[in-house]
Amino acid sequence: MPVKYGVPSDPDYNERLAEFEARIKRGEKIEPGDWMPEEYRRQLIRMISQHAHSEVVGMLPEGAWITRAPTLKRKMILVAKVQDEAGHGQYLYHAAETLGVSREAMLEALLAGKAKYSSIFNYPTLTWADIGTIGWLVDGAAIKNQTMLAACSYGPYSRAMVRICAEETFHHKQGKEMVLLYAKGTPKQRQMAQDAINRWWWPALMMMGPHDQDSPNTEVLVRWGIKTKTNDQVRQEFINEHAPEILEAGLTLPDPDLRYDEKTGNWLHGPINWDEFWQVVNGNGPMNKERLEARRRAHAEGAWVREALEAYAAKRQRTAVAV
Amino acid sequence: MDTQWPRWEVFKQDSPNKPHQAVGSVHAADPEHALLTARNIFARRPQAVSMWVVRAEDIYSWTQEEVAEGQMTKGESYQAQVGQYLVFRKTSHKRSMTFVDYVGEVEAATPEEALKKAQATFTDALALAWWIVPADRVYKSDPSPETIQSWFAPAKDKTYKQQQYYATVGSHISKHKVGRGVEDEE
Repeated sequence: MPVKYGVPSDPDYNERLAEFEARIKRGEKIEPGDWMPEEYRRQLIRMISQHAHSEVVGMLPEGAWITRAPTLKRKMILVAKVQDEAGHGQYLYHAAETLGVSREAMLEALLAGKAKYSSIFNYPTLTWADIGTIGWLVDGAAIKNQTMLAACSYGPYSRAMVRICAEETFHHKQGKEMVLLYAKGTPKQRQMAQDAINRWWWPALMMMGPHDQDSPNTEVLVRWGIKTKTNDQVRQEFINEHAPEILEAGLTLPDPDLRYDEKTGNWLHGPINWDEFWQVVNGNGPMNKERLEARRRAHAEGAWVREALEAYAAKRQRTAVAV
Repeated sequence: MDTQWPRWEVFKQDSPNKPHQAVGSVHAADPEHALLTARNIFARRPQAVSMWVVRAEDIYSWTQEEVAEGQMTKGESYQAQVGQYLVFRKTSHKRSMTFVDYVGEVEAATPEEALKKAQATFTDALALAWWIVPADRVYKSDPSPETIQSWFAPAKDKTYKQQQYYATVGSHISKHKVGRGVEDEE
């Protein structure tokens, strides 16, 4: 693919930028090899690689519960879900690679602790009900964001998102089913579900990122059709769908200020603890160190598999040449 | 990083009457490894009957702009090779789920000649991108019914991976549903 990333010092930059923005306005997808501003490319790599890392790290809190699933059915569901997350990471690394960054470089940044991933995965999964709650709230929040990104202007990212959304809907539904069953179950099951909702509600709201006025990238992302909604809009959609469903199940939400606003039709939330958000983003969450160590350990322990595959490929290559 | 495996483009065929489509890429040490990885990543849901993989460097691609400007040669990796070439083409960038699709084969001496023949042969739609691949660089999943069965059928039995499996949960989904669904969901 030819590399055509425009910078403002290019003599034809303004002219090409106008064409590029007109294409986006017409609803055309930008594809690899098409002219694009370097800043568009940079923002996409930043977002897509963070997103890919989130899928990969997201396997860890749930993977820990595979051996402890209460029934075979729940175990098969959880295995399939964790396998999906691995696949989603791969779809996304591929989408980022179409912008000229290598998969190895992205993985290296993750293992070196230089790359960001969604802070939600730096919280611990303390009980089995956390697995249902992650599906319902965390995947529910992710789907809201991903549905928006499925309409984004960059072809490979939007295709990855359409696939991911279709699969994530299963993650969301299985989690919701589980929590609703526990809400109707024994007092102990109800309590377990409530405890999980209490711990995951606020971190789920933080997943959409800072408020619009504190989100410096939003303006350019919206203009170039990478995002089609702002963080606060996506957060509002998530609350409007999930708050009434949780309350209807007879569970409560840990927000004394939460209320339905007749005028706008929105469920309004109380203040979000952004100090906690930034603490976790900057590496001081409950599980940051453990997650990174688990990734590094998995990479190191998989080294012999990679070596064996390379040795086998090299042997076949020699055989092929000899023939 | 300790491994720098080549990148392979993956072409997936959803059903016997549909073309193979470029769905993404995997990294793998050899063609067999690439096909197995492609299956694990792109066929976890029952929407496949066949897969092809091609090393990324064996694909000669042209954008509409390059064709229009007459930029035909593809640099150092460009190698003359007489034989069959597979032709792939993208014809729409209006929606998300549009792909570089397989359209057929041509015989040529070079990828550039293959492109010219492709342009003359496949004229039913305007091409936004062309991919030309020497036929001997394409590795295909085994077309025997046994392999298709063992590779792609198991996903069909795993109904719990489909959202419909949980459709009866919650009496109030529609009541609280806000916003629209995913754009052109498969």
